[in-house]
Amino acid sequence: MRAMLLRPAASLGLLLVIAHVLIAIAAPWIAPFAPTSLLDTPLEPPNATYWLGTDDLGRDAFSRLLWGGRVAMLVAFSAGAVAVLGGALLGLSAAYRRGSFDDVLLRLVEMKLAVPTILFVAIFVTGFGQSVPVLIVAVGIIQMMGVVRTTRAAGIVLMEQGYVRAAQLNGESGPTIILRDLLPNVADLMAVEFALRASSALLLVSALSFLGLGISPPTPDWGLMVEDGMALLESEPALVLAPALCIATLVLGINLAAEGLADALGLDAARGGSG
Amino acid sequence: MIYLILRRGALSLATLFLLASFIFFATEVLPGDALDVSLSADELAMMPPEVLARRKAELGLDRPILERYLSFLGGLLTFDLGRTIITRAAVADIVTMPLRNSLALAGVTLLLALPVALAIAMAAAHAKGRVLDNAVSGAAIIGYSIPEFVTGLLLIAVFAVWWPLFPATVTASTDDPLGVLLAAAPLAIATTIIGSIAYLGRILRVGLIEVMASDFVERLHLSGIPRWRILWLHALPAAMIPGLSAAALYAAALVSGVVVVELVFAYPGIGAELVRAVTRREVHVVQAIALAAAICVVLFNLVADLSIAALDPRTRR
Amino acid sequence: MPLGWMQHEAAVAEPVLQVRDLSIAWRGPDGRANRVVDGVSFDLAAGATLGIAGESGSGKSTLARALLGHCRTGSTISGGSIRLNGDDLVALSAPDLARRRGRVMAMVPQNPLASLTFHMTVGRQLQEVLRLRAGLSDKAARLRALELFDQMGLPEPEQLMGRYPHQLSGGQRQRVVLACAIACDPLLLVLDEPTTALDKTTEAQVLELIRRLRSARQGAMVIVTHDLNVVADICDRVLVMQHGRIVEQGPVAEVFVSPREAYTRLLLGAALRVEEASRAKPAAPGQALLEITGLGFRYARPSILRRIAPGPPILEDIGLTLAQGEVLGVIGESGSGKTTLGGIVTGLLTADTGRVVFDGAALAARRTPEQRRRIQMVFQDPLSSLNPRRRVGDSVMRPLRLFQGLDQRAASRRAAELFEQLGLEPELLSRFPRQLSGGQQQRVAIARAFAAGPDLLICDEITSALDASVQAQLLDHLAAIQRRQGTAMLLITHDLSVVWRMARRVVVMRGGRILEAGETEVIFRSPTNPYTAALLGAATRAARAGHPELIEANG
Repeated sequence: MRAMLLRPAASLGLLLVIAHVLIAIAAPWIAPFAPTSLLDTPLEPPNATYWLGTDDLGRDAFSRLLWGGRVAMLVAFSAGAVAVLGGALLGLSAAYRRGSFDDVLLRLVEMKLAVPTILFVAIFVTGFGQSVPVLIVAVGIIQMMGVVRTTRAAGIVLMEQGYVRAAQLNGESGPTIILRDLLPNVADLMAVEFALRASSALLLVSALSFLGLGISPPTPDWGLMVEDGMALLESEPALVLAPALCIATLVLGINLAAEGLADALGLDAARGGSG
Repeated sequence: MIYLILRRGALSLATLFLLASFIFFATEVLPGDALDVSLSADELAMMPPEVLARRKAELGLDRPILERYLSFLGGLLTFDLGRTIITRAAVADIVTMPLRNSLALAGVTLLLALPVALAIAMAAAHAKGRVLDNAVSGAAIIGYSIPEFVTGLLLIAVFAVWWPLFPATVTASTDDPLGVLLAAAPLAIATTIIGSIAYLGRILRVGLIEVMASDFVERLHLSGIPRWRILWLHALPAAMIPGLSAAALYAAALVSGVVVVELVFAYPGIGAELVRAVTRREVHVVQAIALAAAICVVLFNLVADLSIAALDPRTRR
Repeated sequence: MPLGWMQHEAAVAEPVLQVRDLSIAWRGPDGRANRVVDGVSFDLAAGATLGIAGESGSGKSTLARALLGHCRTGSTISGGSIRLNGDDLVALSAPDLARRRGRVMAMVPQNPLASLTFHMTVGRQLQEVLRLRAGLSDKAARLRALELFDQMGLPEPEQLMGRYPHQLSGGQRQRVVLACAIACDPLLLVLDEPTTALDKTTEAQVLELIRRLRSARQGAMVIVTHDLNVVADICDRVLVMQHGRIVEQGPVAEVFVSPREAYTRLLLGAALRVEEASRAKPAAPGQALLEITGLGFRYARPSILRRIAPGPPILEDIGLTLAQGEVLGVIGESGSGKTTLGGIVTGLLTADTGRVVFDGAALAARRTPEQRRRIQMVFQDPLSSLNPRRRVGDSVMRPLRLFQGLDQRAASRRAAELFEQLGLEPELLSRFPRQLSGGQQQRVAIARAFAAGPDLLICDEITSALDASVQAQLLDHLAAIQRRQGTAMLLITHDLSVVWRMARRVVVMRGGRILEAGETEVIFRSPTNPYTAALLGAATRAARAGHPELIEANG
């Protein structure tokens, strides 16, 4: 952790992430207005009361901006956690069992990667509704594939280690070996993967909201705000650029932190997983 | 070698078959069929049940699922992708041109992005650790951190609104010749290129740096072989092998990934069609598009695998 | 600085290489600089061969590269001079150095497979050196390349030129890399561990080739190795390094026969001397504990989506017996199947044919917990033997709790006992593996194995990853605890001196078969099999250096 902070880029990244998270948590208290209440005439330019003006329905854009990251971050970080935990267990199990289980899993992962992301989520969402838990599961499953591949690769190397073979020799059970010997030794990898998957998930969630397949109105969300304001780019640029910048800086922050973390841990962050 | 191609090809076909089946069942599982969605709630309530049943029978929505599955597979083999529910238009007609347009966008992007990414990666690997390298890495991280629709909108804001140099949205239509279409979408192409260069450049750079640190590069260096020669003739081919594989996988993702850019710029590609079809529950259109995308992915994977086998002598024998 | 070595003889005649006070510093991630090479000075005459001997961490590889003016990223030459033919390499610019590399000075790197470009044919790589460094035309380069391949003893040069590095054997690759290095007949040729990755038969051939080259060339040769037998074979002078410093140097005959420094004596003490009595204790007569008959094994991994043709037999018709409390040595090089044998006995692998009978009961693929407890194993790499995320005490206590059902306190006490028996302080129980030295890690692994209270212990190359100075100590501790517990041991190794020290009986394996079996003293002193004889010849060179009568007798 200390080594990571020594790198300026990583520290900047961490700062950005922390700032965003704090703002999102504190939004209910620091936002001047409620994000969903219709307050005034629509499309007012930025002024003293409404720092970013009002949106097309008359809501305060600034308050919506402060609230906008909450759901997206919740989904992204939860999906990241789902992806990393589920992916690690699957990947390590595949590395442990090898044989048919491994082959089938690999084929499934390849197949899953072939299904276009947007479509996969679309199917989920139309099938199970557009709620937050559904989004978390859908995005989590998509991100899981890359984690499965990297943890499986790491797991295969670990299986050759003396202490794992000693445990096998002594007849320790599969789950015991996976949980006691393999999992703790991929913890580093999992931390980096979590950051990378979370940033991927965030991009995906924003894109989905933008397409109307993600977070649904009236919940304030940056992706939705961009979609809403897109047509008004010329007249009210702030309505589009502010949320766009928020998304960009948060993702950038996570990626910088992830690179720094990977560097500090001696891992390679340029993995070819699915986006 | 031929044996390898045959085997991989067979595996790809099997994967495709499984994918098609998955797509079919996944889309058929969607609750509420197209008829429910296309008619308003009032109309549905007012329509007598027999009329409703007859309409459904006409559209083939009441057949058992297995029968539909088999006719789906049969249709695939004859390239008959069915008809849309609402307008009874041939799905193949609806999907073909947009698909062509998306493939063209993806293709042009890669064609332009790959060489640039390669050049950037080589420059950065050559100047490793120095200012140029760090600047390039920084730019790359920013490049792939920004969501594509943000990049697109920023480009519109700067180059279409403040300095009206380019059109903000694509004014050509779906069926226009590719040349006209692509010429009308400079900002869209720029958006996808930026993301691609950032992603590919980073992967290629890391690959190159790894290769430059390997033992055979050291031996060549200690033999007095000039550095540029080592880079071009020894290191670059070595790094290209995993690099090409990564590029092929990226290309596969690109075809469906351009959906967001298409919507921002109103580019007539399959992304827009897909979103439209999903909201209208046009099952056959969704299936067709999903299938097309899946074919692209499987195809590109196959190309990546085979190119590795062709380029890397270690995989033969 | 005492230059005693210089007073022993007149200054080396016409030194082609003069190194004075060379120091190389390496900057660690925390910013501190370590001296990897510290104040090294020596001369080397034309036509002479110098061996730089040392263990891992001695700085010999760094020194080898520095002789070509090259430092890996992170290290720099911090002082001293290297004069090659009068020019100080330390003071030269990069282009001047590049001009000399490959032509005036050349290096044969350590790992030939990794050192050759995998996507180019070997012929093309050699021709590249000839064209660019020797200035030959395309046609001339091709002819010369064929000549060189032939000189190196490579079969069918025409065909071989068109092959890729991975298609050649280890020995052939080494010859190719050698050819690239001597292409321009350099004044200084540096070889980094030229035979380490090769089996003993190939090693002998490559050493013979190097000997021929040496007499054919005018230039000087420097051979960097950890293997004193190699130094004894082809070097005239030797330089012993430790922690970056020169411990001792001089003519091989002198240094090897009467070493002055304690460290040199320690290194030479580990060399195999079959004239002396074996230190291995005979086993008390006991019943057979382990009986293996007709064991066979092929490597094939079943899976529904792949069909892999079964490969050549890894083991064929293996048979041996081991009595209770006895130590049996299993000698073999890589590819002999010795590790597979160990894997089958421990149950990690399943044999295709044959029987393994342990204490009267045939061992099946599924073992009973009692059987698992009674057969234990220690592996080659000490660091990977222990879970890096757990304290070493925990790793040792795990079998105690698993097999003996001891509670935390009882297990902790027993673990401390075992540590003491192996010469480890009980405080080390709470340390993590990375905080221990290699020797300590291996002793922890041994403690873990003995914690289960086994009747049979398989040791698979347990000293190979350790420095020579640590090996003897480890083996003594192992012998002590083995005698104390009365555990039978199967000692699998390629190192004959380990067997000589520990095992009264020995079995020699090659290519999956057993070539010879019998009493260690008998076989080592008069081997009947030519392969065993070659192994012994190579392993006893260091001991015989400087004794012409012994060299004559054993070849």
